[in-house]
Amino acid sequence: MAAADYEAWYQPPKGDNDIAKLTDVVLRVAEAKRPPIGWYIAFTIAVGMLGILGISIAWLFWTGIGVWGNMHPVVCAWDLTNIVFWVGIGHAGTLISAILFLLRQPWRTAINRAAEAMTIFAVMCALIFPGIHIGRPWLPYWMLPIPNQMNMWPQFRSPLDWDVFAVGTYFTVSLLFWYVGLIPDLASLRDRATTTIRRFVYGMFSMGWRGSSRQWHRYERAYLILAALSTPLVLSVHSVVSFDFATSQLPGWHTTIFPPYFVAGAIFSGFAMVVTLLVPARQFFGLKDVIQMQHLEAMNKVILATGTMVGYAYGMEFFIAWYSGSSYEGFAFINRAFGPYAWAYWTMVSCNVIFPQLFWFKAIRTSLVAMMIIDILVNVGMWFERFVIIVTSLHRDFVPSSWGYYIPTKWDFLTLTGSFGLFFTLFLLFCRYLPTVAVAEVKAQHAHSHGGH
Amino acid sequence: MSQAPKKARHTGPAPLHGLLAEYDSPDALIRGAEKVRNAGFRDWDTFTPFPVHGIDGAMGIRPTILPWIILCGGLGGCTLALGFQWWANGVDYPFLISGKPFWSVPANIPITFELTVLFSALTAVFGMFALNKLPQPAHPLDLKERFARSTDDRFFVLVQASDPVFDERDTRTLLETSGATAVEDVPEDVKSESEMPRGILYVLLILAAASTIPFALAAYARESKTTTTRFDIVPDMDFQQKFKGQRMNTFFADKRADRLQIEGTVAVGELHDDDHLYAGKLNGVFARTFPPSIHIDQATMDRGRERFGIYCTPCHGQVGEGDGMVHQRALSLAEGTWVPPSNITDERLRVMPVGEIFNTITHGVRNMPAYGHQIPAEDRWAIILYVRALQKSRAAELKDLSEQERESLIRGG
Amino acid sequence: MAHGKEVHLDDNIQIGDEASDLGKKALGIGVVALVLGVVVGGGPLGRQFTASYLVAFLYVLALGLGLLWFVTIQHLTNAKWSVVVRRVAEILAANMPVLALLALPVIIPIVIGQSEIYEWSDPSKVAQSPALEHKAGYLNVTFFLIRVVVYFGFWGLLSRYFLKQSIDQDTSGKPEVNKSLQAVSAPSMILFGLTLTFCAFDLIMSVDPDFFSTIFGVYYFGGAVASGYSLLALSLMWLQGKGRLTHSVNREHYHDLGKMMFAFGVVFWSYIAFSQFMLIWYGDVPEETHWFHDRFNGDWKIVSGALLLCHFVIPFFGLLSRHVKRNRKTLAFWAFWLLVIEYVDLYWLVMPSLSKDEIPLHIADLLCWVGVVGVFVGAAAMRAKGKNLVPTKDPRLADSLAFLNP
Repeated sequence: MAAADYEAWYQPPKGDNDIAKLTDVVLRVAEAKRPPIGWYIAFTIAVGMLGILGISIAWLFWTGIGVWGNMHPVVCAWDLTNIVFWVGIGHAGTLISAILFLLRQPWRTAINRAAEAMTIFAVMCALIFPGIHIGRPWLPYWMLPIPNQMNMWPQFRSPLDWDVFAVGTYFTVSLLFWYVGLIPDLASLRDRATTTIRRFVYGMFSMGWRGSSRQWHRYERAYLILAALSTPLVLSVHSVVSFDFATSQLPGWHTTIFPPYFVAGAIFSGFAMVVTLLVPARQFFGLKDVIQMQHLEAMNKVILATGTMVGYAYGMEFFIAWYSGSSYEGFAFINRAFGPYAWAYWTMVSCNVIFPQLFWFKAIRTSLVAMMIIDILVNVGMWFERFVIIVTSLHRDFVPSSWGYYIPTKWDFLTLTGSFGLFFTLFLLFCRYLPTVAVAEVKAQHAHSHGGH
Repeated sequence: MSQAPKKARHTGPAPLHGLLAEYDSPDALIRGAEKVRNAGFRDWDTFTPFPVHGIDGAMGIRPTILPWIILCGGLGGCTLALGFQWWANGVDYPFLISGKPFWSVPANIPITFELTVLFSALTAVFGMFALNKLPQPAHPLDLKERFARSTDDRFFVLVQASDPVFDERDTRTLLETSGATAVEDVPEDVKSESEMPRGILYVLLILAAASTIPFALAAYARESKTTTTRFDIVPDMDFQQKFKGQRMNTFFADKRADRLQIEGTVAVGELHDDDHLYAGKLNGVFARTFPPSIHIDQATMDRGRERFGIYCTPCHGQVGEGDGMVHQRALSLAEGTWVPPSNITDERLRVMPVGEIFNTITHGVRNMPAYGHQIPAEDRWAIILYVRALQKSRAAELKDLSEQERESLIRGG
Repeated sequence: MAHGKEVHLDDNIQIGDEASDLGKKALGIGVVALVLGVVVGGGPLGRQFTASYLVAFLYVLALGLGLLWFVTIQHLTNAKWSVVVRRVAEILAANMPVLALLALPVIIPIVIGQSEIYEWSDPSKVAQSPALEHKAGYLNVTFFLIRVVVYFGFWGLLSRYFLKQSIDQDTSGKPEVNKSLQAVSAPSMILFGLTLTFCAFDLIMSVDPDFFSTIFGVYYFGGAVASGYSLLALSLMWLQGKGRLTHSVNREHYHDLGKMMFAFGVVFWSYIAFSQFMLIWYGDVPEETHWFHDRFNGDWKIVSGALLLCHFVIPFFGLLSRHVKRNRKTLAFWAFWLLVIEYVDLYWLVMPSLSKDEIPLHIADLLCWVGVVGVFVGAAAMRAKGKNLVPTKDPRLADSLAFLNP
């Protein structure tokens, strides 16, 4: 391999953007009078799905949880699966933003803004389900430490209450982190605004930022510390979600490896969703020079790595289920693989462990079609992973006379579909009105590597 | 950097706020900044579209105390979380759950961690805003057209006239020779309001006051009593369209909601007119044969064994001798009122008609509950088939064995 | 990325007699200590010796594995900052074959059925215990032996391969070496995870054969990585004290090593330890809780409290500040701290299952530890003699030398 090829492998080209051109390329989407026609089509579909969500929730509130398929013994099914699924997807954004920032990976700047936005929207989708699935949806404030008429406080020892604090903190911090990162770009939009309304709105939200270096100094410290805080936060959030299961005594749930396993799985599904969103976004918004193939390839490598970690965890669970000598634990895993839900189990294994192995091959890692297919399958697989964990452990636990089989209803399907509607609606609005790339950060990265000292 | 001073209505040319120099690259800016710093200026700043590496050193910016403030915020959150959980679940309303101690530190760690992070993050963001004096709605630089590129691709230095070292001519020369592409005057902003418009202020105050109303209402509701009934958000949950036991129903003469079953009515799917299969009776007496729809084969036997294992062994034991786990437990409790489960391999049950056994399983007897609702009729017959096999196994004679079995018994294998 | 001014390696990057002197001394002390340990521990099959030696061996194994992981991950991620410190890590990690030898006093008693520690290796004990009988498909001497050969074979080959390829690049200057090492490190990482996990199960978890925890391998991994980074930092400081690498390794590199010590030794370890503990505490299943009972009863309470305080609370605040990580003296202090607390952690993992209520401190513990560490350090020092301490022709070396933390 010649030295020039080596150069290309080790330090891939950064594209031909100078600073001003970068600003133009990214911001022109937000500044355009009309987005491309594709946006309108996508938005119509998304809003339609959002409408389905609204109807599903309204019908659920009016009639009750019975419209779903939940029954004994599977008392939570798609609702819990969807919460964990959406929270998991959100994790990629924080990871790209915060952890790659701490690891000084320059390729993060092209994708972190979109990824952070995705986090916030995914967490919003996740937050719907705890609110609607409790049966008496006018009482969720009982989960918060607000003085109430019974003089009672929440049960702080319950993992379900830990979830409230974890996901709430995660949402707040992600929102703040995203917003703080947006401020310089909003200022840029303000300074280039042509209409009064835009100047006013962008001006207000940019808080009067003018790029003073003294302000940048404190800004940078705050940003670094937020990144340093977000890292353990994102690890803790999905760990707390995993505690919902692991603190129980149910076979298949009570496993010490759940926290890191869930975190790896969340990063896995989140990255897959980021790639799934960015491949079309960069196509339609003309951002191919900013979000380059090297970025997509790097993400696919992360997907391969975290998918392997998830596979490791599956292996550990299986081995220890046998090693423990607990017949309940052993049965739980045999039942998963060969019982009535075997179809779900093998979907999960093939989508999470087998298909991502194709990313060992560079040709597949760098093929847009292949990565779209595999990454969508990863998200399907990760949804099934949560489904398998929840439903197979519930439907056949200690007492055989209580065994049952869960079947979802159409309202389960519609609510899940509707949640995707919420997600895509918000994401499309974000693409339309806000810069999808962190312009200031890309410029800083660019200056550092090309001008620099 | 100091704020623009409060304006007074001015006539005549606006006083000078400072001098603005423009640079076209980060390196040029750094060189310019070093020059300004070395000249001894203090009231000055640089403006860049992104944080420029090395500008902190060039300008002599000291590290901010923000990290320490954040640390305090985080520790505050930690203490608050731990303390509140201790007080709420351990002191104010002690809450016993799963036998865990009132103050369960391991269980309190997740929330403590989250609140530490939350408070740290809030302190980071709002502390940064406060130290940066944001939001900053007005600044004299907003009036300079070229300054709009400060968020795009140009770099600026502003030296304020309020600085003691400032001299209009010398400072201008200094900047012009520092590598700037342009140097301009920046007049004070005497036209814009430096205070927030009264209207917005009033709206904000009203909103702030209004936001306390829900809390006030909640506090009032906590302390007050009322004679009106609760507000039902989803009325059909609180008032369900059905009659519960022991309630009134004026439709009937005796006004009771509890009714006896009307003679001859049968629930859908419950007609069960095959007495042999569903009641174990043939011509009114307990049947001695299995119903014809029950196939006497290995499959039924296996099913019977499986179902026996699920439903019968807790009391009757694995071979039906009446020594199941429930019996063992009752013995260990030694309460004296316990009637042991029957030994189903006993003589009495061996001669009992299968129909009578069926009846016992369906309706229960003495301490044994009725299993008719839990076990479908076909399964009950399968269990009885297995019971017969168990009984046979305890009362078998040599002549019952096959040739091979006899051989192996004699051989002792 | 360095542009403009070229950064050159203008350091003394070879260590000669000083290394072999240290090596000989360390090996000498190590061997003597081991012999003394055998004597006071009741012979090579004695219970005290086998227990003390096990903890000591797990300690140096953790060092070796942590450093091997470091080398692998740097290749896998094509890291630039670490190039200048990687050779020293490679030299230390190449101790894996030495560790295979050091493993013998742990393995031989099992194989000959005379282990005082591992109940599952004794057929008579297995026959009495339904739990052991169930696990006999995995916990039996033959399968164990095969596994051990696989573990040490893989680790030995991998560590030597990395060192050799890297040293060869010093003369050949071929940049494609990096690419092939990256390609090797990917599947190696998977095998590494599996071998480390099952080794932890075999050597540590099976001491209490009733206990099981899916996260156990990850727990050992966290401690190993932290120890590896700490030892690397201290080794670099020793070399710089001897006038080597004085310009190449600067406070930026120490800062990064410090960050990793903080991330793995404090944050990650605490996270895993807490997960394991809290989940078992919460579920309250007796099959699992007895393991923690052993560690909270009697005198062991103190050690558990010490671990919480000294593995998490104190080093958390200690290593938080960037100034601490950028200053050689303070970083050295915390490196020593983490190395000491790793020993306490491993002691706590093994001993309470063997000695309930009482902490069986014995001079054999110290002798065994000195012994294995002496051999480990000695072997590494001997190996370092005459080798370049920096991969001179690695294409990313310039970046590593010019590396700056934000």
